[in-house]
Amino acid sequence: MTTTETIRTATPTEPVGHKPFRFPLGKSFATFVLLPFCVLMAFPFVWMLLTSMREANTIFGGTFFPRKFTFAGYSTAWTSIQFPLHFWNSVWITSVTVIGVLVFATLSGYAFAKLDFPFRNTLFVLLLLTLMMPSTALIIPLYLQLKAFGLLDTQVGLLILYISGSAPFAMFLMRAFFQTLPDELIEAARVDGGSEFTIFRRVILPLTRPGIATVVIFQFLQTWNEFLIANTVLRNTDSLPLQPVLFSLMGQYSTDWPALTAGLTLSVIPVVVVYVRMQRQFVAGMMLGAVKS
Amino acid sequence: MATTLTARPSSPAPAPRSTRPHRFGSPLRKSQRVAGYLFVLPTFALFVGFVLWPIVYTAYLSLTAWGGFGAPRFVGFENYRRMLGDPVARRAMIVTLVYTAVTTVVLTFLGLFIAVLVNSVWKHVGVVVRTILFIPGIVSFVVSGVLWKLIYDPNIGTLNQILGGIGLDSLQHPWLADQKTVLPAIIVVSIWGGLGFNMLIFFAGIQGIDPSLYEAAEVDGANKSQQFWNVTVPSLRVVTGLVVSLGLLNGFKAFDIIFVMTGGGPNHGSEVLGTYLYSLAFGSTSGSIPQLGYASAFSVVTMVLCTIAVIVQLWLTRRADR
Repeated sequence: MTTTETIRTATPTEPVGHKPFRFPLGKSFATFVLLPFCVLMAFPFVWMLLTSMREANTIFGGTFFPRKFTFAGYSTAWTSIQFPLHFWNSVWITSVTVIGVLVFATLSGYAFAKLDFPFRNTLFVLLLLTLMMPSTALIIPLYLQLKAFGLLDTQVGLLILYISGSAPFAMFLMRAFFQTLPDELIEAARVDGGSEFTIFRRVILPLTRPGIATVVIFQFLQTWNEFLIANTVLRNTDSLPLQPVLFSLMGQYSTDWPALTAGLTLSVIPVVVVYVRMQRQFVAGMMLGAVKS
Repeated sequence: MATTLTARPSSPAPAPRSTRPHRFGSPLRKSQRVAGYLFVLPTFALFVGFVLWPIVYTAYLSLTAWGGFGAPRFVGFENYRRMLGDPVARRAMIVTLVYTAVTTVVLTFLGLFIAVLVNSVWKHVGVVVRTILFIPGIVSFVVSGVLWKLIYDPNIGTLNQILGGIGLDSLQHPWLADQKTVLPAIIVVSIWGGLGFNMLIFFAGIQGIDPSLYEAAEVDGANKSQQFWNVTVPSLRVVTGLVVSLGLLNGFKAFDIIFVMTGGGPNHGSEVLGTYLYSLAFGSTSGSIPQLGYASAFSVVTMVLCTIAVIVQLWLTRRADR
């Protein structure tokens, strides 16, 4: 939180000098508008939590705050849909994707930012032009390609699609970070006789930790929440990550709302934990992406 | 790509990056060149195999008729002609454009409005508000889709229960089952999910404005609202361009939230390009033959729309640079 606050104090909203006390009308008004709005925005989550702890027979016509709290919904969600299995699938698919994307993106981002080689700009523009192609538009050829390689219905196939789809954007983010480093640093390291890879690993990477943290969080959220590709290329129930399972739950447990909302709540926990703990890097990363692009 | 990637040592060196003369001889330059290619190669290989080739392949498939077995049959622009006469395709196009326009406009104005409010309140209130508003944006579309589907449920959904509880029974409605209300209902969910992100981008933009601009405006006797229109708004041009183009992109590629909540229904009432191409290719109704060629034509249309969104952003940013 420290950086946001230091930026905050630099703004001219605080009164300067010795002015007589005035009731902060503007601030009070803004707060008065914002707080109900926040309640409205948070309402679905509050409702989700309350419903997940209800007794199943009080869904219809029960009071808003349940009279009795129960965790029966959670135990149903946990056991009957093999929640731990799918949770684990999500964890490991997300981890491998994040690591893969990070390796590819730091290497190529550094090369595009700091190394001189023929056709550098041509290659970069080519990557840039297709940065925004959504998976909605590419899902048909991607499906056919995995089928041709015999990787349909395998987590390896899914991982390949995830990494190749995300690496260019992460490269773009990392390149922006690398560009902020001074050229003299690299040139000095070259004079000292390090190979390009040693310079990259020993000198450059340690300096880009904030950038790496940003890419990790961004990629974690994106992969954890991905639905379309996972739902299309994986058919075997045991290999599914959480999102497609949650989707199929809707049909299966259409009347058992406590179990359904308990499943949703459990799936959201890692995301909320990471967001709350690493909010600063997350916001910083978004800002960088926003400013640089 | 092989030809591009073989670095011929004799090839002319590119123009130097800076005006500084290069102090290093050719061995160092050469190692840089080799390293450059090696560092870029893995990403580029994946990119060519799983991004560039699929784009080309979809474009080709859109000119064929293909059920997934045997060889695709080349039919020229037949699929595009068929699209023009297909009422569902026209419906999907209109819904996509309406959905995109409404979400983009609302998210841009509401995002800016909330960001200005958040910027003007006490520091701690602002932190809390930012944290709360952003949370809907970090959960998946599956989670928010399922959650809102329950809220909209016609019989025991919370929305109808609340309406009944405060005596507005007449407003109770099967929100997702009526063609008239299904799109607005989905748009509300999209705005709920996207607002935090836009608010934060605008907020960062506002924080990045040089304070001396406000001081100068104050010296010139500008009041708060004049400062907003003459300092804040012009300074946020680049940020606004980003928000608008992201809004367009997210609208054109919309899929998850609609697929989860309605599947494009009722009776194509919320059908967008993404859900229609998906049902054509992967068949929501079992037994029907997948229409991969026709579906690919919708992929191409989606890609063209997304490219337009990117061009819009570049254009807005370019204007700001002048």
